[in-house]
Amino acid sequence: MSSWLDYTINGLIVGNVYALVAVGLALIFGVSRLINFAQGSIYLVGAYIGWVAVVQLHTPLPLTIIVVAAAAAVVGLVIERFGLRPLQNSVRIAPLLATIGISFVLDQLVMLTFSPNPRALPSQLPDVRFQLGGGTIGPLDLLIAGVGITSALLLFVFLRYSKLGWAVRAASQDRDAAMQMGVDVNRVNQAVFGIAAALGGVSGMLVGMYYNQIDTAMSLQATLKGVVAEVVGGAGNVPGAVIGSLLLGLVESYGVAVFGTSYRNLFAFLLLVVVLVLRPNGLFASARQAPPEPLTGTFIAPSRPVRIPRWALAVAAAIFAVLPFFPVSFYVLQTLINAWLLGMLALSLTLVAGTVGQVSLGHAALLAIGAYTSALLSLTLSVPVGLAVIGGGLMSAALGTLLISPSFRLRGHYVSIATLAIGEIVSLVILNWEGVTRGPIGISGIPPLSLFGYDLISPSSVYWFSFAVMVVLALLQGRLLTSHLGRSFRAIRDDDIAARAYGLSLNRYKSLAFIFGGFAAGVSGGIAAHLYSYINHETFNTQQSILALTVVILGGLGNVVGAILGSVALVGLPEVFRIAAEYRILIYGIVLLLLVRFRPQGLLGTI
Amino acid sequence: MTTSVPEPLLALSGVNTFYGQAQVHFDLSITVARGHIVCLLGGNASGKSTTMKIILGLVKPRSGEVTFDGASLIGLATPQIVRRGIASVPEARRLFADMSVRENILMGAFVRNDRDAVAQDLDRMLTLFPKLGQRLSQRAGSLSGGEQQMVAMARALMSRPRMIVMDEPTMGLSPLYVDRVLELIRTINQEGVSVFMVEQNASLALEIAHEAYVLQTGKIVLSGPARALKDDPRVRDAYLGGSEAA
Repeated sequence: MSSWLDYTINGLIVGNVYALVAVGLALIFGVSRLINFAQGSIYLVGAYIGWVAVVQLHTPLPLTIIVVAAAAAVVGLVIERFGLRPLQNSVRIAPLLATIGISFVLDQLVMLTFSPNPRALPSQLPDVRFQLGGGTIGPLDLLIAGVGITSALLLFVFLRYSKLGWAVRAASQDRDAAMQMGVDVNRVNQAVFGIAAALGGVSGMLVGMYYNQIDTAMSLQATLKGVVAEVVGGAGNVPGAVIGSLLLGLVESYGVAVFGTSYRNLFAFLLLVVVLVLRPNGLFASARQAPPEPLTGTFIAPSRPVRIPRWALAVAAAIFAVLPFFPVSFYVLQTLINAWLLGMLALSLTLVAGTVGQVSLGHAALLAIGAYTSALLSLTLSVPVGLAVIGGGLMSAALGTLLISPSFRLRGHYVSIATLAIGEIVSLVILNWEGVTRGPIGISGIPPLSLFGYDLISPSSVYWFSFAVMVVLALLQGRLLTSHLGRSFRAIRDDDIAARAYGLSLNRYKSLAFIFGGFAAGVSGGIAAHLYSYINHETFNTQQSILALTVVILGGLGNVVGAILGSVALVGLPEVFRIAAEYRILIYGIVLLLLVRFRPQGLLGTI
Repeated sequence: MTTSVPEPLLALSGVNTFYGQAQVHFDLSITVARGHIVCLLGGNASGKSTTMKIILGLVKPRSGEVTFDGASLIGLATPQIVRRGIASVPEARRLFADMSVRENILMGAFVRNDRDAVAQDLDRMLTLFPKLGQRLSQRAGSLSGGEQQMVAMARALMSRPRMIVMDEPTMGLSPLYVDRVLELIRTINQEGVSVFMVEQNASLALEIAHEAYVLQTGKIVLSGPARALKDDPRVRDAYLGGSEAA
């Protein structure tokens, strides 16, 4: 590819693919005010069904498209019926978390069925390119454009002229009023999930053909791109989603033209953050009514926390503290060290997501900042490791809060999207800022943990160190929650408008929470860097962010003891039951789904 | 006043409603006679709007019975209740702001499948609400509050309901439109549609209603023929601003 016209054509084609995903997200958001994080998984499923059809069943192309659309639609209907409809009367965050759980489950099922290795998906089209002005265009480009335009037309006709289409539009503007006109909202939900899934599945298949390769990493990427395009266009706005997608495709393509391939995603997420900051309702949001009440309050499942007497906690802490004196295996200590590290991250997230109500999906970025800071301080500046870890915590607190601050004015699901994007941006900056972070090579030879000149190399010393750090952080956080500050945090979570009316500065309190939480997560990342001795931009990924969120929900949002209990449970139980590594993510997804459905307040209850 | 009340079309009896721990309705009983206009009066937070939501199935009562034309509505979903012949004019109109006026009015006929008759009814609405004729292709959200109220009423009538429930139909309207809306409610009623309306503006509501109920913190404290309530000193003191109101 050479000419600008080529980059423009590429941008529009990729934009068309994004549009097929984003339009589905917009339909679902319109009707249910839900960002469907499982959309990328349906796209993945579509790609693999396409592979089965083309490679194993040898179906002709038109039939392949129909098979993929129909099969993906069935998956969408199943998700709606069994994953989301039972949550209709739950708290607002429940469906969002459920779609995350569903996406984990679907991705893992695809991976277990087809193996994680990439596969080739031939396009069945002749490999020729036509000259067009100064650029070239191939049959597959035309197919993608054709599918995009046809889908848009069909969707337009459906929404404008069919009775069900009218119901979809009415329900997305005012759900209650639509019900009072006799609209069955369940049927509307079915319709939009079916349509969204069909479009998403076809999109995945086309992308597979475009790059002649499919693998399970496509899923998260597709969700992220679709969400970016949809939010850029204005959440819930179907034509906006199409324009947002084309814009995203062009921005990425030109970004790649100027800076290179590894910058593609960075431009996507920067576009998202810029739009969220400047026009949080998207570029094409009409002056529509405020989202239906309540905006906050019922976002988190209220519950009565389980009271655990202090002496019991002290006894438990003492047992864990003396554990290395007993003949326990290295393996047990190693598992618990992982649990304590995850516990620090969970403490951070339970404060931010549970106590202040800002559900972050990018928390692993705080780990990465702490890890890189601590590693680089000790390696290049020869700072003692103990101080370097603290430096990592401070850097995470400062930089994390600074990065997240543009999203302070956002609410609810938008906070989750913004934190997800910021998390991706951190990882992409680490990948591309080779001068400092050594880019894709990563950092190796990180010195081991040491304290006052003594290296902590034995498993028990590492165990004691990480346990002690976690306990200190937990005690501090416990103090914080019972203080006046803790009450202010909860006030912001429960009703930010009322909190503001009482004179609380939201920005200041959200900053304080992120500073405290950023420090805990940064310290965890710092310790991890010195334990692993090698880190790269993928060491701390979105899966870890989601794992931390699952831990926090398992323990009970905002619950300090719950965060630690959740960490021990999710790290320890798979070890106890010797569950193979490839099934773990599947189990985490199922745990998340079951929690959301049956015990949204977690094991110990929300605080 | 004792013999002329026809058989009830809608009846709530012994309804108790809760929002979490808080009780909203205490043993609420209301009947709407066939062909009558019945008005529910009450101040803020008295449970008026919740009564509407109970009838429409948007909120489920913890105990009690709601019947329409002799059959229970308890356990039915809102769309099913609408299909039984109850239409609503929700609080603050709740039009579909991004749809055109025509589409909004036709949404009212969502439960019907007789296309030709629906088209005729649309014409009928334009004679009943002549102002909407020039507005048909305009976005509903761009209309004034009074015009939106007209659309909301036309939309409700399009399902050919046997009864319309209205939540504060005069709220936020200019005095000119308030009179117009009340006039229209009377016209609609004369065509055989029963009306149950929730209102804060007691003096206006009692002008057109046959019967009225006064709700105070979830309990019916007064009820009877509208004319009698209008002269009741308790109503006059509480809702009609003492003796100035006519």
